[in-house]
Amino acid sequence: MSTHQLANPPLTRARNQRAGFTQALHSEWTKLRSLRSALWTLAAMAGCILGIAVFVGATRSLQPDDTILGGSLTGAGAGLLVGASFGVLMMTREYAAGTIRTTLTACPRRLTVLAAKATLTAVAMFVVALPACVLAHQIGTVTLSGHGYAPGAPWPALLGIAACYPVTGLLGLAVGTLLRHSAGAITTMTAAVLAPSLFGPLLGDWRQWVAGASPLAALQKLSQTSDAAPDVVGSLSAWSSLGLVCGYAAVALAAAAALLQSRDV
Amino acid sequence: MIQANQLTKRYGTNLAVEQLSFQVQPGRVTGFLGPNGAGKSTTMRLVLGLDAPSGGNATLNGRAYRELPAPLCEVGALLDTRAVHGGQTAHHHLLGLAHSNGIPRRRVHQVLELAGLAQVADRRVRGFSLGMGQRLGIASALLGDPGILILDEPVNGLDTDGIRWIRDLLRGLAGEGRTVFVSSHLMSELELTADHLIVIGQGRLLADTPMREFIERNSQAATVVRSPQWGRLRRLLEGRGARVQPGPQGSWQVSGPDAATIGAIAATHQIQLHELAPRISSLEEAYLRMTDRTVDHRAGRRLDPHLDVTGEEG
Repeated sequence: MSTHQLANPPLTRARNQRAGFTQALHSEWTKLRSLRSALWTLAAMAGCILGIAVFVGATRSLQPDDTILGGSLTGAGAGLLVGASFGVLMMTREYAAGTIRTTLTACPRRLTVLAAKATLTAVAMFVVALPACVLAHQIGTVTLSGHGYAPGAPWPALLGIAACYPVTGLLGLAVGTLLRHSAGAITTMTAAVLAPSLFGPLLGDWRQWVAGASPLAALQKLSQTSDAAPDVVGSLSAWSSLGLVCGYAAVALAAAAALLQSRDV
Repeated sequence: MIQANQLTKRYGTNLAVEQLSFQVQPGRVTGFLGPNGAGKSTTMRLVLGLDAPSGGNATLNGRAYRELPAPLCEVGALLDTRAVHGGQTAHHHLLGLAHSNGIPRRRVHQVLELAGLAQVADRRVRGFSLGMGQRLGIASALLGDPGILILDEPVNGLDTDGIRWIRDLLRGLAGEGRTVFVSSHLMSELELTADHLIVIGQGRLLADTPMREFIERNSQAATVVRSPQWGRLRRLLEGRGARVQPGPQGSWQVSGPDAATIGAIAATHQIQLHELAPRISSLEEAYLRMTDRTVDHRAGRRLDPHLDVTGEEG
């Protein structure tokens, strides 16, 4: 093969040849849409939300004092765990495959890379979660109406519920960046989602800050399910819980950014 | 041009790279040589801004790597060819990279064509052979049509055709005025490809010289002799101060007198010769001699003279 092939079609230096945020986002999007495993994770997240809504609707397996909104979003918690993995894998798959070096050589401004990944994680998860939650609620409304369940107030709760997903995803991205290993980071995220509700009640006065701090607690409170009793998920209001989780995610992302910036890869 | 200034990298108490300064000039292929663990890969990672140096700095065309506005268009790097997500196709892998620097999509097709991967562009990388992976790595390095190429072990895993292809490619790229910096543990390969050598051992610069000069300076003149009356000839040669060593297949290596002198001695004493050939040291021999000397010069800091000629670069 002749090297002239390289010289003859010279690369026309376009004005937009730079490695900024737009380019990083475009690159991340190209990677995401060409990776079947990543798309399947998003599909599984929607599948959890919708599949369990259909199941609950068909079997009416919900507490008599539950709301239709809460009952139809029973699967949202499981979806949240899948979503956490999606966020984690946005970063850890690069470490697992070794592509992180390629990515950081292509764009050496590491915070730009993290910002692009965060933006894509949040947008992709919200865009999948919102329609899935709205559809799950529709399924619940059709199948459960007229059986004596309180309807619950779907708006703006559904927006908040859908927002739990990107927030969890960003927390996952941060934990993935900090730990760099898929298995460890997914385990940590599973604990972060489940543990506050499990162990929070043991902590006395600290309960509301701990039990209410998990994305799952925020989601359960927003969905007005009877599972969201204050002794389980803390006594913070639904939106305060979501705000608290946003705060945790922001702190985790800041730590991830600092470490990514300074660490050798 | 690549420039390293007093580059130092410390991992805990271990100095991986120590006060390393060198320049890699455009227009020629510069080989980067050193035993396993000498710090070659670390040096390349420092130059590419992946690892932060403990001291000193490295610049590419006068700028630190992290300051390059579109790095792929200035520097093409190949570090680890297995570093591709197996679930991705070659085309999408390159497209993702191209987008990250705003490189037009058609360039992806050009480099796939150039690397001989056009036929397998839409196959998942997981099924690629080592050689195909290597070609994909080269394709990624050439994506931005960069003026500087930094390649860590580019011939690893390539078959004969592939090795020849890389050799021609690198020489061609240097011929176009690009800076080509290539490490290899296959010294025979570097010998054919590189014009200039930078040799390091234990993170320190050992040599920075043209290839020819390196071999000449570190080689030992010797003549291969084969004779049915070797015993007699040997006594005559040793009587004149020659040193002899057994060579392969019954031959002997004579150092001291040159081939003409040995031939004259044999003729005078009517000794039959079956072989009389002056021998030029290979890069490998020159390298081993130099590292041996380095051990002498730096007693106490032993340099591992064993080169890895089969395994992977550590």
